[in-house]
Amino acid sequence: MSDFVQWVTHGVKRGRFEVGSRTALYFFALVVVLTLTAALYLMLVSQTAARGRHIQQLQAELFRFQRENEQLEVEIARESSIHRLWERAIELGFAAAERLEFLPLADVY
Amino acid sequence: MAEGPRRRLRLVSTLLIGIVVVIVAQLAQVQIVDHHFYKDWLEEQLKRPIAIAEPPRGVIRDRNGNLLAGNGVMYSIEADTAYVVDALTAAATMGPLLHMPAARIEQLLRSEAPWVQIVSPVSKEVGEQIMALEIRGITVKPLWVREYPEGRLASHAIGFCNVEGAGFYGVEGFYDALLQPKQVEWEGLVDPASEQIPWVMAAVALPQPGAELVLTLDRTIQSLVEEELARSVQECQAEGGTIIVMDPRTFEILALVSLPSYDPGRYNDFYVLDPLPFEDPAVSQQYEPGSVFKVLTVAAALDTGLVTPETTYYDQGWIEVGGLVVRNAFREADHEHTVTDILIHSLNVGTVWLSTQMGPDIFYRYVLAFGIGRPTGVGLAGEVAGQLWLPEDYERWHDSNLGTNAFGQGLAVTPLQMIVAVATVANDGARLRPHIVGQRIAPDDTVSTFRQAVEAQVISPQTARMVTEMMVRTVEEGVPQARVEGYRVAGKTGTAQIPIPGGYDKEETIASFVGFGPVPDPQLIILVKLDRPKTSPWGSKTAAPAFQRLAARLFVVLGIPPDGTQVAEIAR
Repeated sequence: MSDFVQWVTHGVKRGRFEVGSRTALYFFALVVVLTLTAALYLMLVSQTAARGRHIQQLQAELFRFQRENEQLEVEIARESSIHRLWERAIELGFAAAERLEFLPLADVY
Repeated sequence: MAEGPRRRLRLVSTLLIGIVVVIVAQLAQVQIVDHHFYKDWLEEQLKRPIAIAEPPRGVIRDRNGNLLAGNGVMYSIEADTAYVVDALTAAATMGPLLHMPAARIEQLLRSEAPWVQIVSPVSKEVGEQIMALEIRGITVKPLWVREYPEGRLASHAIGFCNVEGAGFYGVEGFYDALLQPKQVEWEGLVDPASEQIPWVMAAVALPQPGAELVLTLDRTIQSLVEEELARSVQECQAEGGTIIVMDPRTFEILALVSLPSYDPGRYNDFYVLDPLPFEDPAVSQQYEPGSVFKVLTVAAALDTGLVTPETTYYDQGWIEVGGLVVRNAFREADHEHTVTDILIHSLNVGTVWLSTQMGPDIFYRYVLAFGIGRPTGVGLAGEVAGQLWLPEDYERWHDSNLGTNAFGQGLAVTPLQMIVAVATVANDGARLRPHIVGQRIAPDDTVSTFRQAVEAQVISPQTARMVTEMMVRTVEEGVPQARVEGYRVAGKTGTAQIPIPGGYDKEETIASFVGFGPVPDPQLIILVKLDRPKTSPWGSKTAAPAFQRLAARLFVVLGIPPDGTQVAEIAR
């Protein structure tokens, strides 16, 4: 019987492993380090994904605002176009000045 | 423990250990040994360049910041067919909004293509309604669409932009590369919907919109000029026309109008017209200028010192040059005239006499210096050079050209070239470069302002002032229709015959007038050109009154008080 099989067989016989306390400590430390590394890795990946998603959302929002700004500017320009202003002025009862007169400063002061 | 269970335990342990070893070995193979192979394979499948949301095209404004060309939003309705769960319901929901049969939409959604475009473009409102439905597999993609909020205003100067975002004609065409947005491509891992995979952080430069252009046009002046041209074309029953308004101190174009015009926002509707109305006649169409050109001939003759405004010559009513007999338009004869009379009475014979006195070398040196025969470089698409044959061109130039060219026949100019040449006189003889773009504003707000420089000192300031005074007398004594009450204006009419195969059209003309004021400090120069007016062939009867009405309004709009008046105004 090989040593390994014998070691396992002993294990089955309720804990008669011949493991020293130092070895157990090393093993435990290794498990802790591996667990922490894995946890850290998972945390970083999830954080990166969350931030990446957030950045994507911000970008999408930025582009949406940009589109809305452009659209609004066009709508404002259309509402204040020369043609529209003329129509509004007529609606409000304004009329084009047919003749302008300049007053010499001497007549004013 | 009995031998049987022990053996089974041993067997199971060995198997488990074996499996673990195989898995670990396989993992090592995949993760370490074949790492590059699998990484490349993944990237091959998922790594693609994608365009980060398209930025808008640069906007165009007038000199006061009013928007002339901007960007609106429309949408394209698309579907990722693999993600569509219920094609029937989706089609039934979208059909009424898209004004499409539901069956057609369902057919598209059930197609085998991974991606289909259902309809494009749809209005902002419809796009947003579809977006609000949040139908799985349906993508509502925004599209930029060029908008011209002032409609037809300055259509020739602005040009238009097609649905692919390419600019044509006018400023849109000439500055297309500058107005185009700077597209940014991001290359990396993407999901099936071509979206960035969020856990791959990558530095992305945000796309930049195109540069903004601030024109020298003033939309108020442009509007008034359009109104006046429409009125003149209608009253004179002309086929079309052009008016250019410029500041002779800076050569900034304040208004540029031609008829017939078009609506750049609906340019597709105008493709049915023949000829197409898109080219700007102010820079793309050439014509024989006729008598307006006499201003340049007289200016050249005065500048050389050959004559003065008071120099006299005997006008027998005709003159022979290069075997061609040239006569005055109204057959005036047997008079002694001064050089000033040549402009006042628009005498062909006197002009030919001046050009022959100068000789071809001097005459054409001045003509070229005035900018005739080459594009002005104004910054508008489609500008042509005009047509000017020089004595070196033995096949085309004839001795008689020296005579005919002197009064604006046998050569062709664009309206812009003509106004630039006369503006040179108004600007103390200095020719500047005409321009329509005053500023370019980069996406980072860096402003580049047009820097003006004297292109040529064509005639001396003294000569320019002499010619200006002669042009003032021309208006006051020869063309009263162009007089503007309260202002001294200088000007010259032109009634040009239209060349046809074998000669000139006997009836139709191109009538024009170029004038500037107020003298002695001109702030405005206006060229009016009417094509084939029916009511009268003469520039004095058609173009000059248009100049008068327009100048009177523009002096007020620009706040230029009448001569000898110092401000404070009221309106009645």
